[in-house]
Amino acid sequence: MNRRRRNRELNEELEAHLRMAERDRLDRGQSPDDAHFNALAEFGNKGLVQEVTRDMWGWTSVERLLQDFRYGARMLRRNPGFTIVVVLTLALGIGANTAIYSVIHAALAPLGIPNPDRVVMVWTENAKRNWHQFPASVPDYRDWQASGVFSSLAGVSDGGFNLRLADRTEHIDGMSVTPEFFPALAVAPRLGRAFRPEEGQAGHDQVAILSDSLWRSHFAANPNLVGSTIMIDGVPRTVVGVLPPSFPKFEKEEIYTPLVFPGDVAADRGSRFFQVIGHLRDGISFAAAERRVAGIERRLSTQYKEDTGHTVALQPVEDSIVEDARTLLALLFGAVGFVLLIACANIANLLLARGTSRQKEMALRAALGAGRWRLCRQLLSESVLLALIGGALAIVPSLLAMRFVTSFQIDELRNANLIALNSSVLVFNLALSFATGILFGLVPAWQAWKTNVGDTMREASRSYTGGTQHRLRGVFVIAEIALTMVLLVGAGLMLRSFAHLRSANPGYDTGNVLTMRVSLSDRQYAAPEKQAAFFERVTREAGALPGVATASAIQDLPGSDNLHGSGLLRPDRPDPRPEDIRIELTDCVMAGYFDAMRIPLVRGRYLNETDTKSSTPVVVIDEYTAHLNWPNEDPVGKQLKFGTKKAPRQIVGIVGNVDQGILVKLLKGQIGQAYIPGSQLPSPYMTLVLRTRLDPSSLIPAMRSLVRGIDIDQPVFQVKSLEGIRTTNRAPQQLATSLLGSFAGVALLLAAIGIYGVIAYAVGQRTREFGVRISLGANRLDVLRLVVRQGIVLTSIGMVAGLAGAFALTRLMSSLLYGVAATDPLTFAGGAMLLAAASLTACLIPALRATRVDPVVALRCE
Amino acid sequence: MPSKDRYQNRIELLQGTLDMLILKTLQWGPQHGYGIIQAIRTSSSDVLQVETGSLYPALHRLERQGWLASEWKQTESNQRAKFYRLTPAGKRQLASEHQRWTMLSAAIAGIMSPEKEQP
Repeated sequence: MNRRRRNRELNEELEAHLRMAERDRLDRGQSPDDAHFNALAEFGNKGLVQEVTRDMWGWTSVERLLQDFRYGARMLRRNPGFTIVVVLTLALGIGANTAIYSVIHAALAPLGIPNPDRVVMVWTENAKRNWHQFPASVPDYRDWQASGVFSSLAGVSDGGFNLRLADRTEHIDGMSVTPEFFPALAVAPRLGRAFRPEEGQAGHDQVAILSDSLWRSHFAANPNLVGSTIMIDGVPRTVVGVLPPSFPKFEKEEIYTPLVFPGDVAADRGSRFFQVIGHLRDGISFAAAERRVAGIERRLSTQYKEDTGHTVALQPVEDSIVEDARTLLALLFGAVGFVLLIACANIANLLLARGTSRQKEMALRAALGAGRWRLCRQLLSESVLLALIGGALAIVPSLLAMRFVTSFQIDELRNANLIALNSSVLVFNLALSFATGILFGLVPAWQAWKTNVGDTMREASRSYTGGTQHRLRGVFVIAEIALTMVLLVGAGLMLRSFAHLRSANPGYDTGNVLTMRVSLSDRQYAAPEKQAAFFERVTREAGALPGVATASAIQDLPGSDNLHGSGLLRPDRPDPRPEDIRIELTDCVMAGYFDAMRIPLVRGRYLNETDTKSSTPVVVIDEYTAHLNWPNEDPVGKQLKFGTKKAPRQIVGIVGNVDQGILVKLLKGQIGQAYIPGSQLPSPYMTLVLRTRLDPSSLIPAMRSLVRGIDIDQPVFQVKSLEGIRTTNRAPQQLATSLLGSFAGVALLLAAIGIYGVIAYAVGQRTREFGVRISLGANRLDVLRLVVRQGIVLTSIGMVAGLAGAFALTRLMSSLLYGVAATDPLTFAGGAMLLAAASLTACLIPALRATRVDPVVALRCE
Repeated sequence: MPSKDRYQNRIELLQGTLDMLILKTLQWGPQHGYGIIQAIRTSSSDVLQVETGSLYPALHRLERQGWLASEWKQTESNQRAKFYRLTPAGKRQLASEHQRWTMLSAAIAGIMSPEKEQP
């Protein structure tokens, strides 16, 4: 109940008592004056009665807390400078944490399937051949299916479809899945039905299931769509189902069609082309399933030479979806956590310094009867109040940071649309603010706990402060320096790898190049000749467009995630053992590709129009392949083949190396690259490459209508400038670099403030000592040295601890690094120097003040 | 604050007994503070004069302990006053205090006038 109301009621109650007593006396015949006076006299002191009665109410804990907070707010208002500094520091620290938490919360949102822990990816591994998470072959898949470990085991192959709409054809990402796919995830379509078993057979597969988002964006959420026919890749298919909005996406798939295994590969154990996902049978634990599948694979690997050395790994499906983001998220979360810890150390330091000046106040309150516990609680309330204000203000920077992160549109960070200030993010913010307040509030509370009333009152007149507190402040500064050191090294490593990515000469000219992809429908362009003819016509007509200098195409651009490798063999030598075969990336290109990309010719000639289906099979290799396979020889004119049974190709030219992108770098370091004429080995999908004389984007409409004019069913997609592609490919690194860089900057600033605070405080304490020293003839340089030495000791200890920490931690981020080792000595040294310079500067300011101490003033001021 | 201490000491002395007397008085029905004082005085033949500084703290404490409940009502003379009544827990408390009091007074009586006990 409200205390003020209770007071009013008590007063009323006692007034009523008095009136009743007075009335009784009047009734007994007393005069009004007598009655009034006697009633009052009998009642006693009303104020006192009120007071002793109020004592019975007691304080509820909430009232006491409000009291503490009110008092805390008063103290904070009285020190606006201190309050503003602390609140702003906290707003930055908590804001950064809140933003990163919202990113993590979105990226790690649970999948929309009922039992995610029972759904697993089944991967083929081969340590000797350096295979990790390899796809499966049909016979392997059938053997696993027969094992009884899975209630449903599905094959999945991603790809894209050309969807015919009323006025155009659009390329939509999609997936081909065996009918077991939806039972494996245990999710049924929200409209219609899943695939029937017979729809996995050739001839019965003219059906499709759509995602909720495609159904809404392209079919106006028409509920009658199920049962109607749509044109996919030029072939009519019946829509049998629409999935619920929560259905998980592995990539960006919107259309699902049945995966039908082509007859020629269904029996080939060497043809690995699809991924396998299964639902564990009830009653089989993950570990038991893994053991049983491993047992099957051991048998297969001895039985079939194609499976030699293979093992199988099961991976929970959630892991497979979030594993790309995990390192990035852990790195960012660790970094913001460090920033907040540094901020806490700084605030704790400020509070310690203030606590020293508040000691008298605390001692006075203790002397007036406030218990230790009460004092501690009071101080903790103040800290929590500070943190809560900081946490509330943190909403602003956190919203900005969220917008910043989403602006990168990184594929690895799933559900970017869920990054928002939702209730769970707010709860996190509140909990973190509270925990932060308690964390740095422990310091002054502990100080108050130790306060000995008698001692303090006696010492209060002198400006003495205990040594422990100063030592504690030193410890905080050391911790701050150590954490900052780790952040600086982390940011430095990211910065260096980003600089490598940015400045690394890609081996081609990215300026003024427009690229776009075309993926021909299998059924309409089943014949390789038709594929080749299509792309020859497109590049010929595109080359004639005004503004286009050269038009060509390549299967997949350098830096793409789509890699095609083949074993490189020399027909003039015996075949090496399978594990010793070198993998070479192969891409087919149209004539003029090297011109369009400006990849320099080293020796021999480029591929051109004279390389046709009927002419000698030829190939162009890069310098790396040449040096690796023909050291001290001229490979031009020599022969090579891709695969033991393949026909040899003659090397006609050597071109410069190109940057193969982060994926290759991370997997293998570097792989050789070979180019095969598209006329001799056509591909159903190509990326068009146009070197333009104008702004590349100005040619987009002309190119779209050009391709549509050739075949309306074959849309262009992923239309981007080459420069844009290179930027997108390094977006995760760029995000990590800019965030980590700004976190490290904030940390450096905080650490400098922290060390400045400690040194300045020490100088203030020792003013008299310096005055004495100077008056006794000490050189001002000696004084400077004395002060700076203290700073150097703290910094050095912190830096050593920080370097050790960085050494242990940075290797966790090595998957994000490029061209620089996780323990790169240059980065470590650079970070240390930067930190040393910052903290030395922070020490010098108070040190110079110390040298200017006027001995007369210093000695008199006590 | 000497006078406040005086009251508190008085409460201390009277505590158990005063509580019991209040509960007992309210057994006959709801009553306000003034009424309780009058009732105790009358039924003790003017021997027990409860002071307001003892009564009101006791009433508020008993209410907080859940033995009493209160509400604002009109007296017969049309005066608004806060009436206290026994809660079920208060009735139980009264019973147990009454029992303890009976035992205590019998024991004290045994000590103070032992000759009566002897045959």
